[in-house]
Formats: sequence, C-alpha cells, structure tokens
Amino acid sequence: MITVSHLSKTYYNPDGSILHVLKDVNCEINPGEVISIIGPSGTGKSTFLRALNLLDPPTGGSIVFNGENILAKDYPVHKMRQKVGMVFQNFNLFDHMTVLENVMYAPCKIKKESLETAREEGLALLRKVGLAEKADVYPASLSGGQKQRVAIARCLAMRPEVILFDEPTSALDPTMVGEVLSVIRQLAKEGMTMLIVTHEMKFARDVSTRIFFMNEGIIYEDGPARQVFEKPRRSATKAFVQRIRKEVFQIDDPDFDFPGMETRIRRFCIKYNIAEKCEPAFQACQLMLKEVMSAYMPFTLRITHSELSADTSLDFMVEGLESSPLAAPGVSPAFLEQLRSLCKDIVEEPTTRGFRVKLSL
Amino acid sequence: MKKLLLFFLLILSLLSCSGGSEQGIVLQSEADLSGLRVGTVSGSIYDLQLSSRKDITLQLFNSESDLLQALKNRKIDVAVHDEVVFNAVVRKENGIKIALLEEQAFPTAFMMRKDNSELAQTLTAIQERMEADGSMQRLKDYWLTDRYTQESAYSHIPAEPSGKPIRVAAATDSSPISFLIDGEWYGIEIDLLRELGRELHRPLEIKRYDSGSCIMAVSSGLADVLCGCIFVTPEREEQFLFSKPYHSYHPAYFVLDTEAGMERESLITGIKNGVRKNILVENRWKFITDGLWETLKISFLAILLGSLLGVGLYAMAHSRRGWMHAFVKLYNGFIAGIPELVLLLILFYVVFARSGVPSDMVAVMAFALFFASGASDIYETSLGAIPHGQTEAGLALGFTRVQTFFHIVLPQAIRRGLPLYRGQCVSLLKGTSIVGYIAIQDLTRAGDIIRSRTFDAVIPLLVVTLIYFLLVWLIGLLLKLATPKKKVL
Repeated sequence: MITVSHLSKTYYNPDGSILHVLKDVNCEINPGEVISIIGPSGTGKSTFLRALNLLDPPTGGSIVFNGENILAKDYPVHKMRQKVGMVFQNFNLFDHMTVLENVMYAPCKIKKESLETAREEGLALLRKVGLAEKADVYPASLSGGQKQRVAIARCLAMRPEVILFDEPTSALDPTMVGEVLSVIRQLAKEGMTMLIVTHEMKFARDVSTRIFFMNEGIIYEDGPARQVFEKPRRSATKAFVQRIRKEVFQIDDPDFDFPGMETRIRRFCIKYNIAEKCEPAFQACQLMLKEVMSAYMPFTLRITHSELSADTSLDFMVEGLESSPLAAPGVSPAFLEQLRSLCKDIVEEPTTRGFRVKLSL
Repeated sequence: MKKLLLFFLLILSLLSCSGGSEQGIVLQSEADLSGLRVGTVSGSIYDLQLSSRKDITLQLFNSESDLLQALKNRKIDVAVHDEVVFNAVVRKENGIKIALLEEQAFPTAFMMRKDNSELAQTLTAIQERMEADGSMQRLKDYWLTDRYTQESAYSHIPAEPSGKPIRVAAATDSSPISFLIDGEWYGIEIDLLRELGRELHRPLEIKRYDSGSCIMAVSSGLADVLCGCIFVTPEREEQFLFSKPYHSYHPAYFVLDTEAGMERESLITGIKNGVRKNILVENRWKFITDGLWETLKISFLAILLGSLLGVGLYAMAHSRRGWMHAFVKLYNGFIAGIPELVLLLILFYVVFARSGVPSDMVAVMAFALFFASGASDIYETSLGAIPHGQTEAGLALGFTRVQTFFHIVLPQAIRRGLPLYRGQCVSLLKGTSIVGYIAIQDLTRAGDIIRSRTFDAVIPLLVVTLIYFLLVWLIGLLLKLATPKKKVL
C-alpha cells in the first residue's frame, strides 16, 4: 500500500547548523496493518508520519502510495490526502463549525456529497465514536477526549484507506486517554490500516500488529508487537521498552504540598494504567509519613513503574542514613503489620548516598 | 440617538444665545485697536499688516463666516475685513456695524503666475474696453450698489460650451465678489472672468480654495487664475502677475452693533428659521447632498483600494524576500508618522500638482495609502490569530491550499477582524472631512459653504454632524451584513 524507501528529512537551522531528523527510513505498509511507532522523543516519529502525507515534505527518498510516486512533481497531493486521513495531537477541529458540520464539511465540499447523505453519514460516525448527542454543539464546549473522538469521526468521514495518528492522546488529561484509545481499538478490530505515533506502551502492545521503534532518524527495529516488547533484538530497543517511569518528590519540611503530591501520584497511576494501585499508594504514603518519615526530613519520595514488568514501587530515600528507619526504636509492630498488608514486598537497603526503604505495590 | 440630538441642540442654542450687553467699541483710528482682540482671515493682507502689531491680540480664521461668528459670539472685539464682503445686507442680518472705514482703498485684480501673461493681457484689454463703452460702470452699479440692498436676479453671462477650461481658484465665497448658489458661481469677478472666457472661447472651471491655500493653488499650477477680492500688493507683484485692477475696496473695522438689539427668537422658531435659511433657500440642501455623495465616493473608493493595497502589503510582509519586509516596515513607519492632512497636501500640491489627476482621485489615493497600512495590520492580527493547525487539518482532509484558505481560515479570520475593520472604515470616513483643503466639496465643506452664505453656524454644523452619525451607523450595518453566517453548510 505504502512503500517508503531511503526517506530523509533535513532541517536547516537559522544559525546555519543542519539537523538530520530522518536519515534513511525504509518500510512497507500493507493493508490491514496497525503499526505503532514508538521511540524516544526527538527521533523523528512525528516527522516521519507527517512526511507520509507531505505535511512536512521529505528532502530525499521516495514514497509510493498505491503504485504512484507521491513525490513526483505534478502529483495531485490533495487527492492522495483524501485517502490518507490524519488525526492530530491538538485535534485541530474547526472551531467555527458545530461538531456535525466538522464531520460533514469535507465530504460536502470535496466529494460533493448531498447535505442529507453527509448528515446521515456524519451522525452515524458520531454515534460510532459516542458523540451523536453533541452533534449541534461547538467544539469549544467539548472536553479534550471528546474533541479527539470528533476529530477521528471527521477523518473517517472521508473514508480513508489509511489513518495516521500523530500522538492522539498526548495532549489529553490522563483521565480522557482511555475513551480515545478505545475508539482506536475499535477501528483496529474493523481492520482499518493505521499508523500510530504513541507513548502509550500498553496500548501499543495490545493493539498493534507491528511496531516501528524509531531511533536516531531511522526505523531502528521493526517487528511484531510481541517480539519487539518481549524479545527486542537490539539493546537500544530493549532499554526503551524496559525503561522505568518515575515521579520524584523532594520533601524538605512539613510545609511540603502534600495534597499536590496526591494529585501527581493519581495522575501518574492513571497515565500508566495502574489506577488500581492508586489507593494503596496513598495509604502507604500517609502511613509512612505519619509514623516514621516525619522525623527524617529532608528526604526523597519516588514512585516508579515499569511498563513492561508492570512493577510499581514507592521509594523513601534519606541521605546520610545508615540504618533503616523502620528498624528504629519506637516503631510499633502494629504499624509494620499494617504496612506489610498494603505492600507485596518491603526492601530495606543502604545505597551509595544513604538508606532506602522500597515498598513494592 | 434622539436624546443625544436634543441635548446637542440645547447646548448649541444656549451657546449662541449667550452674552450680555456692554458698551459698544468706538474706533477713531487704527491706533485705537490697541489692547483689543482683533480677528481677520488668515492669509489675507490684513493678516500680514496686523501680525506686526504687538499691542493687539490677533486671531486668524479660515473663512469669513468663522470670522463673523467669532465677532458675534464675542470671541473677538473687532473684525478686520473688506467692507464689500460684510456688506450692508450681511451687517443688518448679523447685527454688526462698521466702526471705522479706512480711507485708503486697495486696488483689486486677478492674480496669475508670471508665465501666464496671455490671460493677464486679455483681462486687462477686456476691462479697458468695458470701461470705454460704459459696461464696466453698469456692472459695478449692479453688483456694488444695488446688490447691497436688494435681492434681484443674478447676472449671468452664458458659459462657453467647450474648449480647454480656464481653471479659476476662488479665494472667497461671499456676495458680491464671487459666490456659489445652487451649484453656480456668481459675482462681479465671476462676470469679468466669464467675459474673459467668451473672449478666449474657453469655459470656466471654478473651485473654492481656502484663503490659506489659494495662493499655493496658483503657484503650484493647479489653478490658472485666482479671484476673490485679491489686493495688489508690492510683495505679491514680485512673485505673481496681476491684471489691471478693476476696482479698489476699503478695508473696514467691524464691531457688534449693540444698539441694533437682535431680537430673540424662541428655540422652535429659531430652528425653523435656521432650517429654512440654511437648507431650503436657494436649494442649499443641494450642497449637502452633493457633499454627501462626494464623501461617500471618496470613502468607498479609498476603502476598496486601501483594502486591496493592504492585501499587497500583507503579502509582502510574508514574502521570503528580506527587502520586501524592509519596505513594509518603512511604509508603515512613514504612514504612522505623517498626519493625513499633510500627506493629502503633499500629494495634491507637489506630487500630482500638474498631472491633471482630479482632486477627488488624489484624495482617494491619499486615504487608500493610510487605509492600506491599517488594513494590513488587521489582516495580520486576524489571520495570525488562526492557529496553523486549522490549515493543516484542512490540508490533511484533502482540501487544496487555496480551498483551505477560503473555506476554513478566512471565515474564521473575518469574524475576528471585522470589528477592527469597521473601526478603520469609520475613522477613514470621518477623516475625509479634511478633503476641503484640496478644493473638494465634501460633506464638511458643504456645511462650510452654507455657513459662508448664511453666516449661521448652528444648523449647517448640526445637519452635517447628524449625517456623519447616520453614515457611521450605516457602515456598521453594512459590515454586519457582510459577516459570514453562523451556519457554514
């Protein structure tokens, strides 16, 4: 369907330096494939996606779409774009149109569909993304997740052969990511060909037939989702998929913003799909702060999560300490009992700079 | 709107009725002016004479009507002007009198550029012939004696139908020298010029210039001959050519006639009489309608041309070429730094002085240049406010670049920019009130012309104000209609 060979993209910075965002990208995309493009930021994932429909024209190489070289001089780019849909990070809904008008507009103006047909199809698509009841409101009154679902419906209205998703959930509040991903999941089930640039590892693993791991301006590793996540062939891929997510809090004195910390922990849990660990994390934190840690300020609290192994833990780290705060005299056995009931495991270990109590959740 | 208008009327009528009784001023000689507030018309010969006197407070006015109004409203104690302009009829109507008539009379003639000796010689020849056969005396009797006291048919010599027109600048609009009624010029000097036209088989093209700018009109070549009670002075003779003086007029010192006791009218009859005198008599409303047309024409064309030039400026500001950016910056800086009137005068008296471009088109150009700068700013703010994502979304759906701009970006930009654009249009419309300076009879100038005939300030200014109000309201209405409809499909 799409054959990309030796694609490159070079930016010339105003200061004269040259930036090779894409160096040599080669791939073949077949109908029905759902490809997630993952990788560290700044490695050209979005640039590659935007090069495919020429929003960011590449500077070298070739793209063949349905047998035609779309980089040829007189190639009608807009005709190709009608078959290649795109969903943006920032939705880019037309703010001066209602939700339904957003969906109907392109079919009416480009495909010259009649108003009635376009309206019926538009409503059907809105129903599909669960927003038929919002048909007549303006985008400004929608939440981020709703906006993105409208954007997907708008894209589907042109009956594209392939859809490019450019970080569709990155601009969303974590609570709204799920509703958008479930719509995309539904499309995958229906066999829509899709390329998705995403940071949602769990989603990428579940929904994709294939993963492109991009690094250093090339497709560094290309393979089935299972293989890339579980048995990555290259070390950079392995480091990336096994990397650990974390949120760090430096607690210096009792004036620390504890309610704000709760919010950040909750966001963290929702973001990495571990909402069920939210409540135990809060309780463990409160317990530790109340019974033990108030005597050890300043200290560092860290919540970590590995997306691959699904291990989550709370680390309490005190600099310059040599023995465990939990072993100090005056720590009640009842408290330790309570703590153990909240955690899978408790590790007390000295580190190079001090002492750490690790609570696995 | 109605309430506002009533308020206006009340204030103006109060102002015009104010002032108490006081002792009349007695002048024995020029020396008695000492310590008084003296007014005259700027650019006139009195302006030159009086400005050297340190013992008086001199105030200069742009027209005879302003001068008279100032005297009536006691803003000045004495008005100095030609006796013939504030003639007996005017004096009686306005309750002023001559306090002192200067004995020395000034010879008066037509003024031309030095290279225009043919006109001067022909005029002199005509006058000599008329003096010989007695027709000059009849002309003077008719205008300078009878016209003082009685209303009769205006003398009118038929105009030449074709030929290269003689462009006449009229420095004054007052009976019996040269004055405008119902679109036609009359007066003793106009009759003499018509004789000239008949001799040379050329029609007259008469335009009213401000006393301040009429001499410039001749020196810059915009007019061939200047009329309107022009005194021959040695200074002027150095620079210009004069025909043979046809008459000598006395300068006079006018003061309020406290004994005459202007009878007070009630507000309603005052307005009624004012409307009759200023609007209905001699079809004076025609000045207003013609002026309105001129104002509308200049405003509309300037907005149209300016909007297009603005597109050009906007395109240049967004081009890849650096020198274009520099040009736009320079242009906007220039426009921001120059008063509209000054640019108008430069275009009229310098750039297009001898090009034969009609003055209203010069005005259109000047205002379009101003409007372009503002318009390009408006395009910048309203188009710049539309996020680039809107364009990308349009392109990604399969619209072409042009379609994306017209279907998606522009409708949103118009909604943002229209209130700004409306403000720009309104300020242009009001700004056109200065075109009188380059001899265009727009709405404001129409009010001035009526004032110069009736010596009444209230009604003409009020009517003109009211029409401007309506025009501004109309612009708002038109642009509201032009706003894209809420429904896009």
